[in-house]
Amino acid sequence: MAKYDYVMAHTVEEAVGLLNEPGLRSIPLAGGTDIYVALRVNPVWFDRLVDIGRIPEMTEIQEDENRISIGAAVTFSKAAGSKILREKVPFLVEACESIGGPAVRNCGTFGGNVANAAVCADSLPSLVCLEATAHLVSPKGERQIKVAHLVKAPHETGIEKGELLTHFSFDIPSKSARSCFIKIGRRKAQSISRLSIAVLGSLDSENNIDFVRICPGAAVSSPTRFLNVENALIGNQPGEALFTSAADQLVAEMIASTGRRWSTPYKEVALKAIAERSLKKIFLEDGSAHVN
Amino acid sequence: MLIKFTLNNKPVTVEAPADITLSVLLRDYLKMTGTKEACEVGECGSCSVILDGELVNSCLVAAPSVMGREVTSIEGIHDADGSPNDLQRNFIAKGAVQCGYCIPGMVMASEALLAKKAEPTREEIRIALAGNLCRCTGYMQIVDAIETTAEERTKNGTNLKRENRSQ
Repeated sequence: MAKYDYVMAHTVEEAVGLLNEPGLRSIPLAGGTDIYVALRVNPVWFDRLVDIGRIPEMTEIQEDENRISIGAAVTFSKAAGSKILREKVPFLVEACESIGGPAVRNCGTFGGNVANAAVCADSLPSLVCLEATAHLVSPKGERQIKVAHLVKAPHETGIEKGELLTHFSFDIPSKSARSCFIKIGRRKAQSISRLSIAVLGSLDSENNIDFVRICPGAAVSSPTRFLNVENALIGNQPGEALFTSAADQLVAEMIASTGRRWSTPYKEVALKAIAERSLKKIFLEDGSAHVN
Repeated sequence: MLIKFTLNNKPVTVEAPADITLSVLLRDYLKMTGTKEACEVGECGSCSVILDGELVNSCLVAAPSVMGREVTSIEGIHDADGSPNDLQRNFIAKGAVQCGYCIPGMVMASEALLAKKAEPTREEIRIALAGNLCRCTGYMQIVDAIETTAEERTKNGTNLKRENRSQ
């Protein structure tokens, strides 16, 4: 006797209908790279998997005028190979390429990464820097919410029962914007982030920082921009002393949020280093994204 | 439930429960035990198979989700007469096999790479194998075997045929 059932959805409407069928606890299945891992250690917490991995509109990346949308069932491999994303948001592509190995990237999806809401989820820092909006559908209709607000705590989101996360959308950063994603793992590939950081920023015509967004990953309980640090940078000429003080402030705010934990002696040094490195990369070097 | 798909270029229909993974479907229901299970959480790559041209960890793929799709497992990788193919012969010649447990997965990851990239660099080979762990060899001989196979296929013009076939 099977412990749970499986059904494939072909459209968003069908998926929402299946997820809300009375008397059954149904959950969406996209790539399976988190669900099947969780099933190894947890008792089964649902009655049926609703496969959303092949719904055409959920597996597309689209660009219209000034906005990009990414389907929740888009895999990290597909995203990494996307010309639109490589050109417009290279730090999101770098984040995708840093996830797992090729086989995991061929299955793992943005929707799953956000819905699973691991502290170390690698797509989150870049999505939060882009102020990405999550689009959800339920029998009550459509709903939009910022990714930063949707993810509430480790493995806890505001996705309601029966709601389907269909896609993400965000404004395309200005042409002058530069971005960077840095991840520290225990090995170069197939590793979980110990710490990461996504930074997006630009300089004005007088070479002052006029725009910057900073979101570390795996630093605090849910991915968030550090607005005080951003504000301390804006209006200033880029320079090593400025970046060191911004990195110190970032570390102080992380500790204020988490308290001193067992991992703090490591994280305070490592976060400072990747914060300085990413700011230098964006504002003093070529500004292309890089990993490690 | 009845699961119909194409396995190693042959149509297959199998009655299996909905709550199993592709690795269990292959090993327990189709008795194709070349695909290995080890970590069962997508970290080791022993269970690698090719699904619609893409490398996947079969321990993380829902068995019913392969309905209507094409799966290639290690049993589908061989020469026309059923003997080891050029890649597998190079694994042997280069000493890339010790205990052998990871090798079916390594071969699948290699074939997935070579189908997309006829002449990968050593760095590209290492990236392609990032999800396949081997505790015996230290990887150098495995990379050598793939590099040599790529060179030979390019020289013999056999890689193009493979690329076309995988499309």
